[in-house]
Amino acid sequence: MSSPTGSRWHRNSATPTLYRHGRRFGLAIMVLAGLAGCGATRVSVPATFPAPLVDKLPLHVGVRLDEALTSYKLHDKPEQGTEIEIEVGAAQTALFSTLLNGMFTQSSVVTEAATGVDAVLVPSIQELQFSTPEITKTDYFEVWIRYRMQLYRPDNTLIAEWPLTAYGQANARNYSMQGDQPALQAAALAACRDAMTFFIVQFRTIPAVEAWLRDPTAAAGAPPA
Amino acid sequence: MSRGRCNRLVRAAWTALIGACLLLPLAGCVTNTVQQVREANTSLASGDSVVVLGRRTRPSASETELDFISCVAKNLGGGADAIRTIPEPEFLDALFPWFEPRTAPANSDDVPGLMQQPALAARLSEIGLRYLVWVDGSTQRTEQTGSLTCSVTGAGGGCFGFLTWENDSSYEATVWDVRTGRSVGKISSDAVGTSYMPAVVLPVPIIAPVRSSACDTLGDQLKVFLQGET
Repeated sequence: MSSPTGSRWHRNSATPTLYRHGRRFGLAIMVLAGLAGCGATRVSVPATFPAPLVDKLPLHVGVRLDEALTSYKLHDKPEQGTEIEIEVGAAQTALFSTLLNGMFTQSSVVTEAATGVDAVLVPSIQELQFSTPEITKTDYFEVWIRYRMQLYRPDNTLIAEWPLTAYGQANARNYSMQGDQPALQAAALAACRDAMTFFIVQFRTIPAVEAWLRDPTAAAGAPPA
Repeated sequence: MSRGRCNRLVRAAWTALIGACLLLPLAGCVTNTVQQVREANTSLASGDSVVVLGRRTRPSASETELDFISCVAKNLGGGADAIRTIPEPEFLDALFPWFEPRTAPANSDDVPGLMQQPALAARLSEIGLRYLVWVDGSTQRTEQTGSLTCSVTGAGGGCFGFLTWENDSSYEATVWDVRTGRSVGKISSDAVGTSYMPAVVLPVPIIAPVRSSACDTLGDQLKVFLQGET
């Protein structure tokens, strides 16, 4: 392939300066490429989740997602390795909408004043942690998300409150030619999927939720779990 | 010899050397071993499908590589006597959340329990799943010797040295019959091979395709096993 400037890169007596500049330019590109590898690793979880394959409960459950949850991100510089930013907040709306849509016959995203629902779920992220192969000396990127789940009646009395710790890992060897970003993203996505899985498995076994499921119309009175 | 002619000769030599490196299919030798244990008869009717899944118990020290799982699935689903194979990510999404690391059945005895769930049983029947193939194992570098040094100067660059390393692949596939909820057999595939990289100016990699060889062997044997030919 030829280009108007292509000949500048050949050494000849007529263009020694251009040749020198070309070499410097090449060196600069190499240095910049090297520095690019030292930059921060930023990942965000893709907001696509599979619909849960479970028998739906005949209830209308709303989910209230506050801004602290939907904008949640962790920015950290571990002692070993580069700066890392993991953004999970933007995926939370899709995560909880898909989750509740699969678990209940009706679900909706609600605001502060919810009407026409049997209950309102209010999830929040308490903490997000990660580890990299540089920190643990293993092949794995790992992500932990510690949620707090609160389930309210429509009159805003608490039905149950429980913690949920989700975990995801990704083998760096599966992404060895692509840098840290895809492996860390895969670990964060795995943690989000695990949050959905754990929620489905755990929900009906929480004593206060179990009691509420037996009679969703019962008034408040029982102490929260 | 004039300077221009000398430069042309050097350029031609470089081009020839690079071309030789790119064109020569240099591959090291690999030794394969495949073993099979059959516990029950197997057969596939038309419309039956199979899925190959990696064991992902957590936390894990040796998770099976994603590309190995897809390689085995590709081998099963391709060539002569191809078997209808569902790709792993598609299967995990279709059966979510029942084959996630937190919920995946640990042994074949758990399958009948899973099938008690009407939605799950209906989906499995819809996709025609007959056999679940769980793959365990990984490829490790077991030995590495030699050294290779590369340098770049204003006048050019090059490498000098000799590297050699040995890779060891060890995988085991366990086959479950979804309809009977029983384990029907196991196939193990082991491969060992040594790769070399001599370098005089240009490094010439002579790579032993250990993992792909283990994948081909396992895929071929699984195909025979599932069709009930042995």
